[in-house]
Amino acid sequence: MSLPKRKQPPLNPFTAFNAGKVNLLSLRNSVPVYTIEAGTEDVMRIEFIFRAGIDKEYIPLLATTTNMMLTEGSLRHTSEEITRLLDYYGVFLNLSAEKDNAGLIAYFLSRHIKKVLELIREILFEPAFPEKELNILMRKRLRWFMINRERVQNIAMEKFFESIFGSGHPYGHMVQESDFEGLHPAVLRDFHSKYYDPSGMTVIVSGRIPMNTANLLRENFGSLRSGNVYTEEFTPELKGEQQKKSRIGKEGAVQSAIRIGSPTINKRHPDYPGLKILNVILGGYFGSRLMRNIREDKGYTYGISSLVTSLDLSGFKVISTEVAKDKTDLAVDEIYREIRLLQEKPVERDELEIVRNYMSGDLLRMFDGPFALAESFKSAWEFGLDNSYYEAFAEKIKTISPDEIRSLANTYYKIDDLYEIIAG
Amino acid sequence: MINFDSFSLENGLRVIVHRDESTPLTAMNILYDVGSRDEDPEMTGLAHLFEHLMFGGTRNIPEYDTPLQLAGGENNAFTNNDITNYYLTVPAENIETGFWLESDRMDELDFSQRNLDIQKSVVTEEFNQRYKNQPYGDSLLLLRPLAFKVHPYRWPTIGLDINHVKNSRLEHIREFFFSHYAPNNAIIAVAGNVTTERIRALSEKWFGPVPRRKTATRNIPAEPTQTSERIMTVERSVPSDAIYKAWHVCPRTADDFYVMDLLSDILAGGESGRLYTKLVRGKNLFSEINAFLTADIDPGLMVVTGKLMEGVRVEDAERSVNDVINELLDKVPDPGEIEKVKNKFESSSVLLNTGILHKAMNLAFCELIGDPALINTEVERYRSTDGEMVMKAARKYLIPENCSTLYYLSSKKEQE
Repeated sequence: MSLPKRKQPPLNPFTAFNAGKVNLLSLRNSVPVYTIEAGTEDVMRIEFIFRAGIDKEYIPLLATTTNMMLTEGSLRHTSEEITRLLDYYGVFLNLSAEKDNAGLIAYFLSRHIKKVLELIREILFEPAFPEKELNILMRKRLRWFMINRERVQNIAMEKFFESIFGSGHPYGHMVQESDFEGLHPAVLRDFHSKYYDPSGMTVIVSGRIPMNTANLLRENFGSLRSGNVYTEEFTPELKGEQQKKSRIGKEGAVQSAIRIGSPTINKRHPDYPGLKILNVILGGYFGSRLMRNIREDKGYTYGISSLVTSLDLSGFKVISTEVAKDKTDLAVDEIYREIRLLQEKPVERDELEIVRNYMSGDLLRMFDGPFALAESFKSAWEFGLDNSYYEAFAEKIKTISPDEIRSLANTYYKIDDLYEIIAG
Repeated sequence: MINFDSFSLENGLRVIVHRDESTPLTAMNILYDVGSRDEDPEMTGLAHLFEHLMFGGTRNIPEYDTPLQLAGGENNAFTNNDITNYYLTVPAENIETGFWLESDRMDELDFSQRNLDIQKSVVTEEFNQRYKNQPYGDSLLLLRPLAFKVHPYRWPTIGLDINHVKNSRLEHIREFFFSHYAPNNAIIAVAGNVTTERIRALSEKWFGPVPRRKTATRNIPAEPTQTSERIMTVERSVPSDAIYKAWHVCPRTADDFYVMDLLSDILAGGESGRLYTKLVRGKNLFSEINAFLTADIDPGLMVVTGKLMEGVRVEDAERSVNDVINELLDKVPDPGEIEKVKNKFESSSVLLNTGILHKAMNLAFCELIGDPALINTEVERYRSTDGEMVMKAARKYLIPENCSTLYYLSSKKEQE
């Protein structure tokens, strides 16, 4: 039975993504400000980025703690007053310290731009690092850590980073209970003066940007003077551990967390777009090989995914899943089987067509709206690239061949190079 | 201001269209007026299991996802106590693919035993991942039946007992489909660079032929008024003690909903909320504390959850929470504080409505609870709330005999 209404509508080619127009304005003190005008509502996103991430820390937790303490009191306001002001102006402020960069992102109604910039200047450049607040924060963080340590996902992921990057590098440092002692305000001030310096700051503004924004940015940030420009004195080595396989027992666990992967190239490498496409085929979307096999065919898990991510000094790829405990070995075998299959057999045209279209649509989603535009620009900018990176990526999505994919699988997914961490 | 048009088809399907010319994508949200509150107490978790089965393909389209991915689209779905909600985004050029896929699976589903068996184990693993293998994961599974004795909100969407899901059979699934999945039980909202004329034509073409069905009559027992305080204590292998408190509140559509929503923000909206300021920052009793409304369509709950700092006695922590709550009963919040939570609400509402997917979801939900225009007018409902109203609502709902408390204690504290 086939009613006329059941006939599939034609699949139309769709517009390519539009990365928007990124303008650069430079403040008097050379701070670069990128602006992206977009959106239908009078809202803005503003991000301040510093090279103040975890890889800069000379004491564990220093980067994240310095970042989290920014709103815990300034020279003018107490922590309580700062959070009350932010809430009063309806600001959603996200502090973050990641592996390479740290800073903050604020989302707010455009009409509050003046007040928001004043507050941000105070938060970023006049923090007081009060000891009482620091002690409270560290005690809180210790509790969060103890709770997170109960999650097999966290146990496996921490061990994964330690294994692939080595415990001697901040990328691979596995947080210990003892790390939560021994941070004093003076250490935070030192880190702050070195890394939260205007000379290392970049600003990305997007949304419906009021006319006076550039002036307000100049007023608040253009006359900030740099301290002594700090050059790093220590450069720990990235060195993966010898032992590739680890199993960590967790009493009472009903599922095991599996992490399989290794360090890899980052966005600056010409093979990176191809590797991203290979990753999508393997485990990067709902129709991926791993999802079809391990969830939709076997029912071992609620979800499985693979990820390729860039870091400044490296990159990594990881396959992640939580599976029924008694299915752990079967799932691991299937993961390797799927990798080998990609190494041995070229991807069929039909499957590649799905991936090409899915990823082209995804590029549209990555640039849809003022917030997404800024996020995508940032993740190219972080690697010294601009939105032409995405043009090249879009081109690779259209043109990559099954043989190229197979060859990438052989180059980047050598089974012997992969680390395998299981917690549960 | 979010403009929209709305119309209905003869088979009862309601459609809402919002035009946003700034995006190359179109979002399509399809809401089915069925959630876990519509389940048989002996067969819970079915609404959610069914959501999984909706991706299993039909006789006409063996796989739901593939054609959508070929069209450049992406999709997902969620189930809660009240609704089952499916959504997709696709380049505007291919929106018809969305209509084809959604109308096809509304019309008929391929109920295969194999698909059912696989999705039963996927859902079991979802249950394990979310509730069993997480510290504090079962807390809401315990709190619900403490607060609700009769109303189906007493069980969570995943089910009262995972064996209900494991024991379900194809005949239950088939019956569930025909009693809940129907054009007259669904609302579609489309947002993107589309015209109402085109969406009307596509709706007629694809959904028009799907027959109206006789859906199950909703017959949900009302929860009797709670008359005395309820307390439950459990011990689990977790690092810290935790407290969960729940009070019965009003339905989603009542005037008091907006008052209580602001009240929960006074308590815990952002780090300047009273609970955080007084009990985390001030007295250092909790490592985290939160307050929220479950925002259910039938009368739901206001919940306060907190994890204790090491060495804090649970009685002391609870007394401090009660003090913060009681202050709301005794004293009208000052206008500055009320203004703050209203501003924050307005800001979050505008920020969320910058995305087409959120707009489509929100429009469909507003239509379900009465009027899509709520997407614009709710801000006014919040704006017209004042301190007196907050105090009055606190006195009405936040009283001990309306409260259920779960003490979730650590069984391994001594070892630390």
